Amino acid sequence: MPIRAKSQSLALAKSSKRRPPAALRAQQPADALALSVFMQMKRAAAVVDHDGRLLLSNSVFDELFGAEGGNAMLARINGEAGRNAGKTSRQERFPNGRTFEIETFPVDQGWLIAAGDVTDHLAGQARAAEAARTDGITGLGNRLMFREQLTRLLHNPDSAAATVALLVVDLDRFKALNASLGRKVGDALLGLVGKRIRSAVAAGDTVARLEADKFGIIQVGQPQPQSADALAIRLVDLIGRAYLCDGQLINVAGSIGVVLPSPGAQDCDHLLKNADLALGRAKKDGHGSYRFFEAEMDERMQARRHLEIDLRRALALREFVLVYQPQVNLRTNTVTGFEALLRWQCPTRGAVSPLDFIPLAEETGVIIPIGEWVLRTACREAAKWSPAHIVAVNVSAVQFGNPNLVSTIISALAESGLDPRRLELEITESVMLDARGTAHAVLQVLRTMGVRVALDDFGTGYSSLGYLRSFPFDKIKIDQSFVRGTSNDPVGAAIVRAIAELGQSLGMATVAEGVETADQLARVASDGCTEVQGYYFSRPMAPDQIESYLSTRNRTNLL
Amino acid sequence: MHSQLYRLVYFSKNRIVGGPAAITVEIDSILRSSQRNNTRMDITGALIFNTGIFAQVLEGPRDSVEATFEKIQQDVRHSDVQVLAFDATDQRAFARWSMGYFGRSRESQDLFGHIAAATGFTTAGLEGARIFEIIRDIAFEEEGRAA
Ligand SMILES: Cc1cc2nc3c(=O)[nH]c(=O)nc-3n(C[C@H](O)[C@H](O)[C@H](O)COP(=O)(O)O)c2cc1C
Repeated sequence: MPIRAKSQSLALAKSSKRRPPAALRAQQPADALALSVFMQMKRAAAVVDHDGRLLLSNSVFDELFGAEGGNAMLARINGEAGRNAGKTSRQERFPNGRTFEIETFPVDQGWLIAAGDVTDHLAGQARAAEAARTDGITGLGNRLMFREQLTRLLHNPDSAAATVALLVVDLDRFKALNASLGRKVGDALLGLVGKRIRSAVAAGDTVARLEADKFGIIQVGQPQPQSADALAIRLVDLIGRAYLCDGQLINVAGSIGVVLPSPGAQDCDHLLKNADLALGRAKKDGHGSYRFFEAEMDERMQARRHLEIDLRRALALREFVLVYQPQVNLRTNTVTGFEALLRWQCPTRGAVSPLDFIPLAEETGVIIPIGEWVLRTACREAAKWSPAHIVAVNVSAVQFGNPNLVSTIISALAESGLDPRRLELEITESVMLDARGTAHAVLQVLRTMGVRVALDDFGTGYSSLGYLRSFPFDKIKIDQSFVRGTSNDPVGAAIVRAIAELGQSLGMATVAEGVETADQLARVASDGCTEVQGYYFSRPMAPDQIESYLSTRNRTNLL
Repeated sequence: MHSQLYRLVYFSKNRIVGGPAAITVEIDSILRSSQRNNTRMDITGALIFNTGIFAQVLEGPRDSVEATFEKIQQDVRHSDVQVLAFDATDQRAFARWSMGYFGRSRESQDLFGHIAAATGFTTAGLEGARIFEIIRDIAFEEEGRAA
């Protein structure tokens, strides 16, 4: 029987006969096996000669391509296979809507064609890709989708950067809301917020939920910055309107950071970071604000980062020193002790004021090792002094959050041999504001060890009398702002007097801070303060100056 | 689906821009949307307005009230929505949905006075009368302040 040489449609029709042509009929057992595999394969398979004639086909192939579509395909495959001599593979969509992956391999007689229906597989892949880019809670895109979209836009030479804006929206207080309303309502609320954002943007804009309660928007094809400005205003208004959700009335506010990509900007993460910086500033401005990114924000952030790096290094490089400022008892005119004050002598920055680095140290937690160093150093120094003098050490709220504080203090005392009654911790009311009450418990423990506790900066902040009742402080330190202003500030004077009286009736010492002149000294003395601290008596001094200071003082006092 | 009956009462600032002609167009559009949607959503209530404010009562299944409110919240024709009440209730105080003009302006009265008649302004029972009085008082009080 000759190889089919008739028209292709006929060949196709005939190919449904199960019996293979003589030329291909099995000679060897291995060939027989190969042939039967070929005939029974689940994939459509056929052999075509170099002239495009069908030599052999299996039943799946016949079923799929037995009609007209098959001829066109064969002709094309033949042409293509002829052009590239090796194995080829490609996907093709057929008029019936299905997509096949078609592979051709060169064989002796011509080409082996194998085709599989990949329609469902592709659809599954597309669904998975879509799902991987969709946020389940809001139905919006997620971070992956957002980054891809932004990257595509930044790399597309056709998209005019001047018409693009990136906005990030963050809900204020959402975590607290989520905790009080429950996850289910929290999620539903995120869904509503997402819809409101969607309703405010144009059809071509991209909206995604980037994380937790943070949304991202890419505005395209609009004149900037005015369009981003208008959108931000609208979003702040819209998101801030009340929600009814799960039978409850909910109020949240959104803050927004906006960044306009500079021409040629291509780094998606850098843009997102700048948007976050602007968002951070907006949040600082208060609920429901928006801010455009400015290069200066980045500079400030960098400056902070460098300060943090230097700060972490400073301890190891021994750039910190403690200086000591005496506190004088007004009745006896004797030095009762010294407050240890931290100084940072940075080789590159020079002397850095504590006001400039303590807040950052607290924010970053670096205050914990620094605070530990201060405690140990102050105890070691004070142990060398006359037993009549105490040392006062500032301990911040952040340190009270550290479970190791008590053991650090115990070890500082043990190592130095300092009598616990000579150590005074100065705390601000922020320590007492700790809601869990752990600070209070820690203070009680320290108290039973004999450590003294002073309330610092009293008069600023809330100055709740409740703190004074909740813990028996040894001392109240009156903030220097009230002391300094006394000459022409009757309110400040009244406050000093009130605190002094309060201390007296509660049995607590009262220290007026920042006394600089004889006039101020006379006034705080008449107001009833028991102790003073300030330049009038002495600036803070290096530890090796203490001895001579005390002896000079004693000598002059004796005169 | 939550079918528990809820009642929402709120007022907001009227932000429709333009003269009487623009206001007529927008009020008409709100009227038509509301008539179309509220029946379908099983919502009854009352919307009263003047040149300064809107005050509205919406009653219906919780999901319907929440969905309708969410749509209304996004409407640029008003702002500063103040929710006065959002509570479960046993009974509707408004048997149908209606809308009416409550303001001092003679001119607006002439323009919008007919709407109440068109929607058949009605309340049901004492509770309905009480709530209606509240929102009407708000409308009169806030009219000058909001504008
Ligand atoms: C004060 C005020 C009250 C409204 N009350 C309703 C209402 O009760 N029902 C309603 O469907 N639309 C109300 N709307 C209109 C909606 O905000 C929205 O425009 C409308 O539902 C869109 O309907 P449509 O999608 O069927 O056109 C109100 C609008 C405003 C400004």
